[in-house]
Amino acid sequence: MSYASTAGHDEHHDHPTGILRWLTTTNHKDIGTMYLIFSLIMFMVGGLMILAVRVELFQPGMQLMQPDFYNQLIGVHALVMIFAALMPAATGFANWMLPLQLGAPDMALPRLNNWGFWLLPPAAILLTLPFTLALFGIGDGAIATGWTFYAPLSVQGGIGVDFAIFAVHILGISSVMGSINVIVTIFNMRAPGMTLMKMPMFAWGWLITAFLLIATIPVLAGAVTMLLTDRHFGTHFFNAAGGGDPILFQHLFWFFGHPEVYILLLPVWGFMPQILQTFARKPMYGYKAQVYSFWGIGILSVVVWAHHFFTVGMPVPALIYFMFSTMAISVPLAVLFFCWIATMWRGSMTFETPMLFAVGWIILFGIGGLTGLVLADVAADAQYHHTYFVVAHFHYTLFAGGIMGIMAGVYYWLPKMTGHMYNENLGKLHFWLTAISFNLTFIPQFFLGLAGMPRRIPDYALQFADFNAVSTVAALVLGLSQLLFIYNIVSCARGGKKATDRVWEGSDGLEWTLPSPPPYHSFTEQPVIK
Amino acid sequence: MAVVAITAAFSLLVGLGFSFAGAWLVLPFAGLEVLAIAYAFYYIHCHAGDYESITIEGDSLTIEKHDYKHDSRTVFNRYWAGVLVRELPCGDHSLYLRSHGKEVEFGRHFMNDDQRLQLAEQLKKRVGVIT
Ligand code: HEM
Ligand SMILES: [Cu+2]
Repeated sequence: MSYASTAGHDEHHDHPTGILRWLTTTNHKDIGTMYLIFSLIMFMVGGLMILAVRVELFQPGMQLMQPDFYNQLIGVHALVMIFAALMPAATGFANWMLPLQLGAPDMALPRLNNWGFWLLPPAAILLTLPFTLALFGIGDGAIATGWTFYAPLSVQGGIGVDFAIFAVHILGISSVMGSINVIVTIFNMRAPGMTLMKMPMFAWGWLITAFLLIATIPVLAGAVTMLLTDRHFGTHFFNAAGGGDPILFQHLFWFFGHPEVYILLLPVWGFMPQILQTFARKPMYGYKAQVYSFWGIGILSVVVWAHHFFTVGMPVPALIYFMFSTMAISVPLAVLFFCWIATMWRGSMTFETPMLFAVGWIILFGIGGLTGLVLADVAADAQYHHTYFVVAHFHYTLFAGGIMGIMAGVYYWLPKMTGHMYNENLGKLHFWLTAISFNLTFIPQFFLGLAGMPRRIPDYALQFADFNAVSTVAALVLGLSQLLFIYNIVSCARGGKKATDRVWEGSDGLEWTLPSPPPYHSFTEQPVIK
Repeated sequence: MAVVAITAAFSLLVGLGFSFAGAWLVLPFAGLEVLAIAYAFYYIHCHAGDYESITIEGDSLTIEKHDYKHDSRTVFNRYWAGVLVRELPCGDHSLYLRSHGKEVEFGRHFMNDDQRLQLAEQLKKRVGVIT
């Protein structure tokens, strides 16, 4: 009798399985997992593209590919990495952790959440499809303008530009949906007693990110739509011959583009102090200062956009304004750095993989911020603009500050998400290989930029050969090292040492009070049965 | 509300600013977005108080539902009521409580399949003929 009833019980407890479960799920953890897996896949796709580019750059002269294909690779690499790897990873964490950290049963608008995710794969396909179409003789390949879509080049480009425009629209809709969900969740779903100023840092980071997305996505959407009408419907928004203004496009793009870089990083700034305090075993330093800095950076980030095109020809007062406002961002950023370091100060630190990534992240992201300050100087930028110095700068911010930050988060939360510990030695090896090969890839690019090597050009003068060779070899090592990351994640999802609920000795926060992995439904409250 | 107002004001300001610069196509997107945000907040505002509950007290089993402005309350006799689980074509299950030819569905929006089945198990132990 009891046997029969248990069997029946178990049968009924299966969750919907197969593809349907994933297509229709409104569960925040399922959706979070899908975002993270999608992000990892696209990280590999974008990585392969740029490794081909690096191999081409191994020697001066053209070896592997046509210049036009080279242009397509760098543009799609950036779009994929920014929109399909980094942003989805941050959104994946938001889905997984925001409800857990806020003590909410789920995101406020679960169905919207499902849509937000399922818009991403079509967008990724749109971005990459023109490569495949070109193989069949349709069109001339993917967008070849770089990720910035500058007019008039993008007005003249092939069908790849149209595909990219639609991809951007879809990605924008997805981001806005995600942001609305985050904002509504944070404002309506916090557990009783959790005031805004008691929220975990990660929630603050995401809240500002969501506001920035809401503020800037319509501008991007408008910009690419005007591009589309210029291309096909005879308008002249960006065509000087028709009374339009190509520089207007740059204003529109960077009005979105500069806040976008903080959109990518604020979630990381959110969970990083949580990781630091966990492994320093002392509470985070300067919670309020960090929250106010987030606000300061968020607000400043929408008024500094023109530092991306100082050289285009602007009135001097405009140059001065954009220079000083840009430099002003380093003040709140410095406050954050101070808080991160002070959080570790005299803590009893241990260096598990997440902490290794966190400490490495502070140093490397610091280099990114400082080199940004160099570029913010109008006079200096006249020389550095559009050189490899800029490439190195934004890889210190986006790869070290963004991707390596995400990696810290992955190692930190993976045991919580899967219920198993990952392989610690492998994790450490992954960190050291990544950190060393990353530096060896991009430090040479600083020097190349200082020496005047332009970016986005597939060939270069002989004098740049040595640094490029080093950079390429290191990039290959960097790419290969990521296989360790994937292997570690997959084997951790499959099994391994059981993780405890708290996972880390110093962990603090609501998510660590739930079992590892948390039950399918995070909320334990059943309907009242008296 | 303040949140919606501030985001709306900012988005529209940006949209207008760019319109004056000649890029008026930003404005419709900003408008659509503001509508979406406002609707999301409105929706949550309306449905934040929604709930369904089952109360078992003595001989009675009370099912209460609150959906925006609609309230409903059904009282069954605990020992005469039955718990019914129906499988839907999509493979999910719906949960009903019934008695005297009257049926009330429970947990359609607020629970997923797994929770409904779990609740059905629990209810079966406490409702109807208890052995
Ligand atoms: C104090 C902080 C920062 C300052 C002052 C700063 C300044 C600048 C400036 C002036 C440029 C334009 C260089 C040029 O094209 O000539 C630039 C480019 C760039 N920055 Fe930063 N930056 C800072 C932080 C960041 C952060 C945190 C990120 C990313 C998360 C970032 C990502 C980028 C990217 C992606 C580009 C190049 C975009 C492109 O042309 O394709 N920067 N930065
Ligand atoms: Cu910028």
